[in-house]
Amino acid sequence: MTEIQQTVYVVEDDEAVRDSLELLLKSDSKPVKTYESANAFLKDYSDKMAGCIVLDIRMPGMDGMELQKKLNDKHSILPIIFVTGHGDVPMAVDAMKEGAVDFIQKPYREEALLEKIEAALEQDQEQRKSLDEKQEIIRRVKSLTPREREIMDRMIAGQANKVIAIELEISQRTVEIHRSRVMHKMGTHSLAHLVRMVLSVKDLID
Amino acid sequence: MTETVSENSEVTVLLVDDNPQNLKVLYETLKDKGYRLLIANEGEKALDLAHRHHPEVILLDIMMPEMDGYEVCERLKADPQTADCAVVFLSALDDLQAKVKGFSLGGADYISKPFQSQEVIARVKTHAQVIRLERELQARNRELQGDQARILNSISEGIYGLDENGIIEFANPAAGMIMGCPVEDLIGKSFFDLHFSTASDSEDNLPVMATCRQGVAENQRDIRMLRADGSGFPAEYRSTPKLDDEELHGAVVVFRDITTELENEQALEDARAMVQEQRDQLAHTSRLSTMGEMAAGFAHEVNQPLTAITNYARVAKRMMGKEQPDLGLLQETLDKVEAQSHRASEIIRRIRRFMKKPATGKEILSVPGLLEDTRQFAEVDMRNNEGGIEVQVEDSLPDVLADPIQVQQVALNLIRNALEATRSAGAATPVEVSARRCGDHCVRVQVRDHGIGVAEEAEEKLFHPFHTTKDEGMGIGLATCRSLIQAQGGEIGYERPEDGGACFWFTLPVSGAEVEVCAPEE
Repeated sequence: MTEIQQTVYVVEDDEAVRDSLELLLKSDSKPVKTYESANAFLKDYSDKMAGCIVLDIRMPGMDGMELQKKLNDKHSILPIIFVTGHGDVPMAVDAMKEGAVDFIQKPYREEALLEKIEAALEQDQEQRKSLDEKQEIIRRVKSLTPREREIMDRMIAGQANKVIAIELEISQRTVEIHRSRVMHKMGTHSLAHLVRMVLSVKDLID
Repeated sequence: MTETVSENSEVTVLLVDDNPQNLKVLYETLKDKGYRLLIANEGEKALDLAHRHHPEVILLDIMMPEMDGYEVCERLKADPQTADCAVVFLSALDDLQAKVKGFSLGGADYISKPFQSQEVIARVKTHAQVIRLERELQARNRELQGDQARILNSISEGIYGLDENGIIEFANPAAGMIMGCPVEDLIGKSFFDLHFSTASDSEDNLPVMATCRQGVAENQRDIRMLRADGSGFPAEYRSTPKLDDEELHGAVVVFRDITTELENEQALEDARAMVQEQRDQLAHTSRLSTMGEMAAGFAHEVNQPLTAITNYARVAKRMMGKEQPDLGLLQETLDKVEAQSHRASEIIRRIRRFMKKPATGKEILSVPGLLEDTRQFAEVDMRNNEGGIEVQVEDSLPDVLADPIQVQQVALNLIRNALEATRSAGAATPVEVSARRCGDHCVRVQVRDHGIGVAEEAEEKLFHPFHTTKDEGMGIGLATCRSLIQAQGGEIGYERPEDGGACFWFTLPVSGAEVEVCAPEE
């Protein structure tokens, strides 16, 4: 698992707010990157990005909510902190339903913002870690031969070696050899662990 | 009473003689000549008949017992009923004295006895004709005088004829009514003494004085005149010199009491002021409601600089916490704080100005400045419009004379409508605001969008109150705009652009232009 540098991505149309936020976060030693519009961010976006987005909910052109939807379509896992104005609470609620981690009302106290950013970064790290784990599992599943994969599926389904041998019309000995290769490739000694790993990525394989 | 004597109507001739033989001859002579003949054999009878029948001609014997012809003539002439008839004396007396006496008593002619029938016929004919014409003339005269009197009597304005010293020679009944005294009481009095307290004012400056003395016509309104009882009333008068061959003979004064008129004018003025006040009220209410609609936008707009200020301040604090603070950077950050606080106060200033209750009144305005200010205002609302607002103003546009708040209110209303229409159409084209000179006296401002446009059937009622195409609209926006622009002396209108969208325009009068209202010269 590689450690990626986390960055705070600020998407804010107002130049003064953007500039001041950049200075503030930098003075707190946070890597910052700013964008003046949702479109600019979207152009720059890649799934390699790590950290969190501080996103103004009201912007000319594409607004914050729209950007959130577009990012969801791209399976982005970057946590979003919405910055809202007075009276934007209903919008913020919708944003939370769409998966935003938090929102903060302008004008905000610096501590509150920094706290939320910290929390978002932590969440990102965790998500990213679990994502990394899942990707590792997927990588391992993909390294299996078709026969090994078939045997593994039957193991997970709870079939005994004998049953597998009969159904596949191979010797029980052959099944055992495949089985030990599967366990080796998947990096585990326990069937229970194997089941857990494969189920956690079930949606991502097949 | 008209007494026209037409060609056909009968002429009456009265024959007076105490001698029946004479009467018979006269009768025979004149009968069948188309006259109505009356006969009297003595003076009293003659007077009675004359009084009752108004004969045109009377053939009158001089020598009669009881009352002679002279006396009869005298009494005929003394009675206005009979004074106009032609008396032709008949007498054997053929001396000069008798004739002279007859003429001196008002006789018209003289026929000597014994008379020739031809002569009698000729003379009666002549006199009958003369009298008839005279009576016709008098009837006409009476008619004319009656007309004149009726005119003078029915005129509601007071009329005086003054001599050159201002003494009233003539006054019509209306003059008496206005003065509150009989017309007779006015005649012979001095116009100046009667109507003005001459003690307080220098006599030379009194109304009508210049007309009486120098022959200068005058016309004044709302001067104070006195009635007979000394009470005053506001009056308007015209005085014209009475000239006869360039010689001044005084003045004719036409005057009237304008108390009611002034009251009506005042009432009208009050009503106008009330309408104006209500329009201002409505405009203010409409501004407040616009502000209400824009409140969220304003909150956002004010929060931006406040947020930036908070951030910068925190950054500055951090810098100061360092062992060796970078003073240059610190200065820069504080400058940014200052700039942002100016920005916030500018937004608040703009809102407050717009919300101010009474409009500030007309002033000389720069249209580009006003439109730019309005654009910034409208941008608050524009966060969901991709295209934004473009302002284009012709070079060297003249200043206009208008109320800045009310004009801004109209411009803002039109721009916000345009933004909304553009948004509803999902278009990304900007709202185009432009201003150009239009003729010598107008500046024309135009707001053009490429939005959903105006339905053809809605076009006609666009500026009518309570007509709206918006779900939540009250339909007073454009109606208010129209009344506000009209109050500036301008006009407002709508044009359907060929390539879709909508185009609203209004005009404002150029400052210093002579015309008050400017019409578009399209």
